[in-house]
Amino acid sequence: MILKAKVYNNVFAFKNLKEVLAKANEEKSGDVLVGIAAKSASERVAAKLVLSNLTLEDIYNNPVIPYEEDEVTRVIYDDLNLRIFQEIKGWTVGALREYILGHKATGGDLHHLSRGLTSEMIAAVAKLMSSMDLVYAAKKMRYQAHCNTTIGVPGTLAFRNQPNHPTDSIEGMISSLKEGLSYGSGDAVIGINPVEDNVDTVSRLLETTKNFMVKWDIPTQNCVLAHVTTQMKALEKGAPVDLVFQSIAGTQKANEAFGISADLIKEAFELVQKKGTATGPNLMYFETGQGSEVSLDAHYGVDMMTLESRTYGFGRRYYPFMINNVSGFIGPETIYSGQEVIRADLEDLFMGKLHGLPMGIAPCYTNHMKADQNEQELSTLLCAMAGSNYFMGVAGGDDVMLSYQDTSFHDDASTREILGLRPLPEFEKWLEKMGIMEDGHLSERAGDPSIFDK
Amino acid sequence: MSQLNIQTITSVGIDIGTTTTQLVISRLTIENTASGTSVPRMEITAKEVIHRSKIYFTPLLDHELINSVAVANIVKTEYDAASLTPNDIDTGAVIITGETAKKDNAKSILEALAGLAGDFVVATAGANLESIYAGKGSGAAAFSSTRHQVIVNIDVGGGTSNFAVFHEGKAVDTACLNVGGHLIEFEPRSDKITYISKPAQKILTACGLTLSVNDHASMTQLRLITKTMAECVLELLNQNRLTPITQELLMTQSIRSPFSFHKVMISGGVADYVYTEIEPLSVEEVTCFGDLGPLLGWELGKKVVASGYSLEKPTETVRATVIGTGTQSVNLSGSTIHVSEQTLPLRNVIVLAPFATSENIPYQNISLPIIKAVQSLQEDGTNPYIALSIKGPQTMAFADIQALARGILEGMRDYLEEDKPLILILEDDCGKVLGQSIEALALGPIEVICIDQVVVDECDYIDIGKPLMGGRVVPVIMKTLVFNR
Amino acid sequence: MTAEGNGQLETLIIQSVLEELSKNGLFDSKNKQQVVNSAVQVINSAASVPITPLIPEDEETVTLPTDEIMVDNPFNLEAIRAMKKTTPARIGIGRAGARQKTVSWLRFLADHAVAKDAVFVDVSEDFLKRMNLVAVTSAAQDKEQFLTNPELGRRLSEEGVRIIKEKCSKNPQVQICVVDGLSSSAIEANIPDLLPALIQGLNSIGLKIGTPVFIKHGRVWVQDQVAKLVDAEVVISLIGERPGLGTAESLSAYMIYRPNENTVEADRTVISNIHKGGIPPAEAGAHLVDVLEQILKVKVSGVKLNQK
Repeated sequence: MILKAKVYNNVFAFKNLKEVLAKANEEKSGDVLVGIAAKSASERVAAKLVLSNLTLEDIYNNPVIPYEEDEVTRVIYDDLNLRIFQEIKGWTVGALREYILGHKATGGDLHHLSRGLTSEMIAAVAKLMSSMDLVYAAKKMRYQAHCNTTIGVPGTLAFRNQPNHPTDSIEGMISSLKEGLSYGSGDAVIGINPVEDNVDTVSRLLETTKNFMVKWDIPTQNCVLAHVTTQMKALEKGAPVDLVFQSIAGTQKANEAFGISADLIKEAFELVQKKGTATGPNLMYFETGQGSEVSLDAHYGVDMMTLESRTYGFGRRYYPFMINNVSGFIGPETIYSGQEVIRADLEDLFMGKLHGLPMGIAPCYTNHMKADQNEQELSTLLCAMAGSNYFMGVAGGDDVMLSYQDTSFHDDASTREILGLRPLPEFEKWLEKMGIMEDGHLSERAGDPSIFDK
Repeated sequence: MSQLNIQTITSVGIDIGTTTTQLVISRLTIENTASGTSVPRMEITAKEVIHRSKIYFTPLLDHELINSVAVANIVKTEYDAASLTPNDIDTGAVIITGETAKKDNAKSILEALAGLAGDFVVATAGANLESIYAGKGSGAAAFSSTRHQVIVNIDVGGGTSNFAVFHEGKAVDTACLNVGGHLIEFEPRSDKITYISKPAQKILTACGLTLSVNDHASMTQLRLITKTMAECVLELLNQNRLTPITQELLMTQSIRSPFSFHKVMISGGVADYVYTEIEPLSVEEVTCFGDLGPLLGWELGKKVVASGYSLEKPTETVRATVIGTGTQSVNLSGSTIHVSEQTLPLRNVIVLAPFATSENIPYQNISLPIIKAVQSLQEDGTNPYIALSIKGPQTMAFADIQALARGILEGMRDYLEEDKPLILILEDDCGKVLGQSIEALALGPIEVICIDQVVVDECDYIDIGKPLMGGRVVPVIMKTLVFNR
Repeated sequence: MTAEGNGQLETLIIQSVLEELSKNGLFDSKNKQQVVNSAVQVINSAASVPITPLIPEDEETVTLPTDEIMVDNPFNLEAIRAMKKTTPARIGIGRAGARQKTVSWLRFLADHAVAKDAVFVDVSEDFLKRMNLVAVTSAAQDKEQFLTNPELGRRLSEEGVRIIKEKCSKNPQVQICVVDGLSSSAIEANIPDLLPALIQGLNSIGLKIGTPVFIKHGRVWVQDQVAKLVDAEVVISLIGERPGLGTAESLSAYMIYRPNENTVEADRTVISNIHKGGIPPAEAGAHLVDVLEQILKVKVSGVKLNQK
């Protein structure tokens, strides 16, 4: 393993793979905070150079956190298809990049390949890619999943209707839900972040959304994004759950801080298979984000991007229906600027897809970052071009419960129009029936939440 | 810290009407609905009717006098049926409605009952309040807020028809008309008249009929009478110029709704005949309960629909008023308030609103309007507990709260010398800081009840109950309601 | 034009408005004179209060219209109006094609601008002087350091330690810290009403209050260091919350009883959402007195306090 590189007149030497992976990253505040970021632009390029020459076997032999110490590492290695890995283990990361970008490699080929790649390999190749590389490669890969409806259908773009309310008011939640539906948002899921993480609140929100779906005959799925254990209790008590949600991370320590383990997620998956309301087989919804391990002080000196990739390696074990990042939400100590957010969103989308996951993205930002709406919208468009399965849908882009900005109902409808994408097929039929959409664009009466008040 | 997060209270509603007397017992759940890191916010989160009485004919000594002993017996019987004693009842209201409310002895009977029916059951009356309770009990209020459509509830009882216009769950106008199914009484299942009330006499005159007690009425005559009654109701609904007979029967102001409406809900004793498919065809069918109720209901339903209104079904008919009374009479104050617990409960407190609007508080001279308001009340010789109601205040800046506190202390100086507690009712959330400021600025010890987030108006009579939820909130019960136009 | 000179004109205007209203039955003409008098009085008293206009009066100004329903030809306007009352979310805002209308887009930009300014602009020196607060800074030297390195905001600068030792009274029962946190606007908007109410209430129950301090670029944990420096029984931090687009002025109060090395987050009692649209600051001040009194009585804070 050669860990030294020369960029013109300067020679840079790295101690180990972990350091190379960290320093090959584009700059992000979280890596700087931990003290593992490249100290100069030249050092960054040197790290990329070293990385491009490492083989996949080198990476396989050097997990960033040892197998014995970390459950996430074990999940990644245990789930690897060794036969496929054996075929490609001699490839350098640079060669992998070219294979992925090459015209010969189809989506199907990449899906096959993905079973033989560890999360660190996937992170490594992403570090050699520019923004357009990431979009170009991600666009090839498209994964479908089925809960009540099928997400990821080619030519579609779906949205999670996110009608959060600062006090979990049922009425207030319904108001935002109606607004979103009237813009065609909600085909991915009706997914609410509750303020109060308790069984009563969660059950109430689940029942309300389910009843609304039944009353208006809406082909979608529901989900309340409480802690997985709360949702499991609600399920046990008979609450109508289509999708079980959980935030996940890329180290065992971080997952422990979230109060989860591989066994717990497995248990939740089995429970929703038995007691949930949805058809399946995909019944889980995960959120991830670059930097969560840093804010939980559970990063082991590993860079945020590699840890994010490992998160996908953990998540793919449970065949989720949806999985998306919220990298722009974690905070300025991990991602500080709009530029950093855009980069993270593109990396996450590509890395998730190369794990074979039905990825969505939450291009978002908080008010204590150096980011603004223009950058957020750029990220949305790029991720849509890169074939994100779905985005969020928030009234006016302003989440009044979580106090951050995410894709608005307007952005959802606009992105579809700009790129000629359609809602998920069953949902589009419903929108047409409701008079919200015609011929793939919003109808005259779209955007009027009171169409539900007859 | 007393972190009482849930509490249930038992509330009774008793409705003594012209024809029937009923009682319901409900369980109200009060919960802290604020999240862990917020200041508590106590709300009534569930209202469950746990006992419905039989429907009794109101016991009368004659056509003018309620038999209070018999009413008390009804209440006792129903408590037994529900396995409750007066001690189990936390709150509630007795409402005397319709014709009965006009009768001389109503007031004393109400007071007698209030003593019997638990520690904090208050007597209320007034056509406006009755109309609102009926509309809340019938489901009209809920309809207006869930369907976002203005609706008029008409509770047609034995003696009166009570109108309430609801917009987004709130009553925006009320009216009361002296039209009901029991204004003329018959021998049950016969055509023989046994009683004609004064308003019925007026209606007969307006129809050009001369009927008296012991006369036999024909179906044609009954139709004429009930059609006339229904037309009076429609006149109010249409907000047209009223004919002389309607004007005579009108017991309040007429309807002048700030919102247009085309949804109508009818509750009360005759409502079941509004929503039926079967038309009463013979005199015997009409008078099966010894009155005109069935035919009035039928005629009214037809007329409402024929005039282009869309008729919505109530969730409660004959029990609407009593359910509204039992479940809706209690209001909770805001959850950061200032109370001297030993002072409560307080009954029969009259509300004075010295400042017309929140913008009208004259910060340079707050005491003067207060002094004037208190004086004007005391001129009539009575000496009640006074609650000062303050709209807003528009500004909740600390300096303005201090000024308000000083002005109130000065303005209420004479009143406070009588050793009465200082009672303040604010609209906006600043009861605690105003109470604290008054205590800090007062020269000696002072009993202050300073509650907020309650809307009351000049001349309302209210009762304030003992604190609930570990002292965080107090229940406030309106006893009369003056509709400001 | 003077207020007096204008009085007659105003009387005329008010009278004619009232006449119109009473014609339509919306106003009882019996009280007319009284209402006119009081309305004129209000206008005059407002005129007599000197207000410094932000811009010269004769210049016309463009302002954002108030939040209104912008759906074209809604199916049920009442329903949207009612919906808007149920949530602060940006609903009923209509669309231009699939994009936002100009007004809602500009309001979004304005709200984001205000939120950013709340984070990135410092509490003014003038404000600190007016509130008579002893001002210190955390170990973070500027906003960027403060935002990207949370550790620095959790401890005082060396000079800060020195100043507190020198200027603050020792062994108080209650030590008050005002901390900018993520919103300077929250400090400037709430402290002038909250602090006097808090101090009045604490005084009235006879508690010994320490010298209130202001900590620039501070986070919640910095209160532990302050409490130890002055040996306070309970310390309360009034700290600016991360601004949302709805409000940039929300303040939280964090209270802890005798923090030490073993202190965990759950030991802090938190009251959040203090601002004029949440719990109003003066009222919050009065409420916090109760909470502090309880903490001092049972000598614990946080989760343990709720269990008592």
